[in-house]
Amino acid sequence: MSRRISRPTLALGLAAVGLSLVTLVGLPTPLQAAAAASVLVLLPGEAMTRLLHVDDVALHALLVLALGLAALTAVSTAMFYFAVWSWQACVVTMGVVTVLACIARGRQEAA
Amino acid sequence: MTRTLEATNRTRGHWKTRDVACALAGAVSLALAVGAASTVAVPVNDDLGLVAVLPYPFWVGVLLLNVAFVVALRGDATGPARRAVMMWLVVVLVLVLFGTAAFVTDVPRGEVAFRHLGIADALSRTQGINPDIDAYFNWPGFFALLATMVRATGLDPIAVALWAPVFNMGLWLAALGVLTGYLTRDPRRRWLVLWVFCLGNWQDQDYLSPQAFGFFLYLVVLALVIGPLAARAPKIRGIRPADLAAWWRGRAPEELRPGRRVSALAVTLLLVTVICASHQLTPFMVLIAITALTLSGRVWPSRLPLITAVVLALWLVYPASAYLTGHPPLAGGGGLEGVIGANVVDRTSGTPGHVLVVQLRIVLTFVLWALAAAGALRDWRRGRLDIRVLLLAVTPLLLFPAQSYGGEMLIRVSLFALPFIAMLACSVLLPSDGSTRRSPRRADGSTRPSPRRAGGIARPSPRRAGGIALLCFLLAVLNVTGRFGNARFDVFTDGEIAAVAAVQRLAPPGSAIISATHPTPWRSEAYLEHRYRTIEDLCGSLSTPACGPFVYGYARHNPAGAIVLLTRSSEASLLLQGSTRPGDFEKLEEWLSAQDNVALVFSNADARVYRVTP
Repeated sequence: MSRRISRPTLALGLAAVGLSLVTLVGLPTPLQAAAAASVLVLLPGEAMTRLLHVDDVALHALLVLALGLAALTAVSTAMFYFAVWSWQACVVTMGVVTVLACIARGRQEAA
Repeated sequence: MTRTLEATNRTRGHWKTRDVACALAGAVSLALAVGAASTVAVPVNDDLGLVAVLPYPFWVGVLLLNVAFVVALRGDATGPARRAVMMWLVVVLVLVLFGTAAFVTDVPRGEVAFRHLGIADALSRTQGINPDIDAYFNWPGFFALLATMVRATGLDPIAVALWAPVFNMGLWLAALGVLTGYLTRDPRRRWLVLWVFCLGNWQDQDYLSPQAFGFFLYLVVLALVIGPLAARAPKIRGIRPADLAAWWRGRAPEELRPGRRVSALAVTLLLVTVICASHQLTPFMVLIAITALTLSGRVWPSRLPLITAVVLALWLVYPASAYLTGHPPLAGGGGLEGVIGANVVDRTSGTPGHVLVVQLRIVLTFVLWALAAAGALRDWRRGRLDIRVLLLAVTPLLLFPAQSYGGEMLIRVSLFALPFIAMLACSVLLPSDGSTRRSPRRADGSTRPSPRRAGGIARPSPRRAGGIALLCFLLAVLNVTGRFGNARFDVFTDGEIAAVAAVQRLAPPGSAIISATHPTPWRSEAYLEHRYRTIEDLCGSLSTPACGPFVYGYARHNPAGAIVLLTRSSEASLLLQGSTRPGDFEKLEEWLSAQDNVALVFSNADARVYRVTP
């Protein structure tokens, strides 16, 4: 019997798509800050950390922050070097990173 | 044993009266500290800084907080208070120690945070990186992150800079909490390490900066290296090559699943790359720390130092080559003598109040290092000294003779060492049996722990707890003194911010903007559109007779002219640090304002702005 993709993985991927669109459209300041921080740091961090199968809850939480910030730094720095930076492009890229990580996680779960 | 471990789990069950009391004491401490700090008037007119003007309820709050923490830490026979209470008290401590300035004023302290906002702003405007501009554009990682976050979130950049110390301390403590989890199982020691780390952190490097970001990633890298990438090393039987080879081959990974090790290695390499792209100094510290741990046999991927060195070298050779061409990494130190001069001698001059602040910073550092040395000796005598902690505490010293780092190398060394100095210091603060070792065998042959040693973890006696509380309170006083000791010149008034805004408005494109000295809250906008100079940089000293004519000549020869900004904080900085004599500042201003083509274009109680036309 083939296994199915877990709900957290699905929710994470859908949240990344939804929040990316919402962030690009724009929201009032506190909501925009929360949405942008989620789509740029927290969701990609969580999606990538889930690929690592970390058992320790504290290390998992730490890696969500560290991986999210590091990945955004890498993406935005690369965009600046290639002179293609815009914050909107960063939002889209981090959304794509999150979805790709969710797809990879989904494959692990289905295997 | 299982029963004992379950008994130490404080996350279940009813709240005890003591836990509730400690949590409430934390809330009262926060209210007292915030209320007291918000009554402080700016500017701070005392050479000792904030410590001299904070009203007594602030100190009552700090004392109450430390007592509450020690009571919670002491807990009962089963362990410290529940995790939520301990976390709440740590949060309060961070807000009290690192948010104090934000409760005093809405303006970020110091100059550098403003400059960093300006670099991020310049990046987002140019949308590209020109490494020839200055050093920051050779290590642009943090600024790229900052530019993206500020633009995408829509947050006020000044508010981001204002609260950055609290945010950065949160990140550091999260990483340190995980890291100490790999180094000790004693919950009391883990919480006390976090507490002492906060109290000892006077270095003021947690503002909006690549150093703060790099230090967070450094701690995460160490958590990975000491956690999933760790190795168990057998005892060394001798120092002959054959013995060492056998010892090296005898290492075994702590994490037995290869997939998890590969994942951790991949994350480590990503973090190392981002550190290399973000900060000049931190990658060297990462390399030193990883190499030391690997040579001690406690890191499984033995080629990790080599890979880190290659990543660092590649960054220096390619993206940072423009800066490196004129600034070799080990140049600029002037030898050990030059480094000591820049880091120690130059920093211990000025008014008696300022010198006292500097001396108290040194006292705080020495107290912690002395406690750490005593703790290390105690652990060594009892045969439980963790070589990893010792290595991570002392290896930052290797950075000291290499570079003066603008006179800040000693500060960075003490920052990188602090988490592990705090850890060693806790060995002497807590009872001797508060270790990771098993419970000692009792007379009847059983290993059941006594009530004071539940889970192999000792509970401090009331007397010892009182000593810890007193020491923590004294460290907190020293922390506030050292950290906010420059408040006379690094806490800016609204008048000074208004003057800087006027300068940005009045300065024609291409003009020079000249301030008396650092710190000046400038360059947060139009970073690339003007030449920014200080009179101190141009003349060396304002007291020299030729200084006025030199500055005037420099301003007039600039094709677009210049704006000269003279602020209260600049004058205070020069006087406090002994860079000029009382009256010289006024004399210079008087002479300058009497020259042709010099006009006063803005003034308020704290600043004057002069336009110099060519």
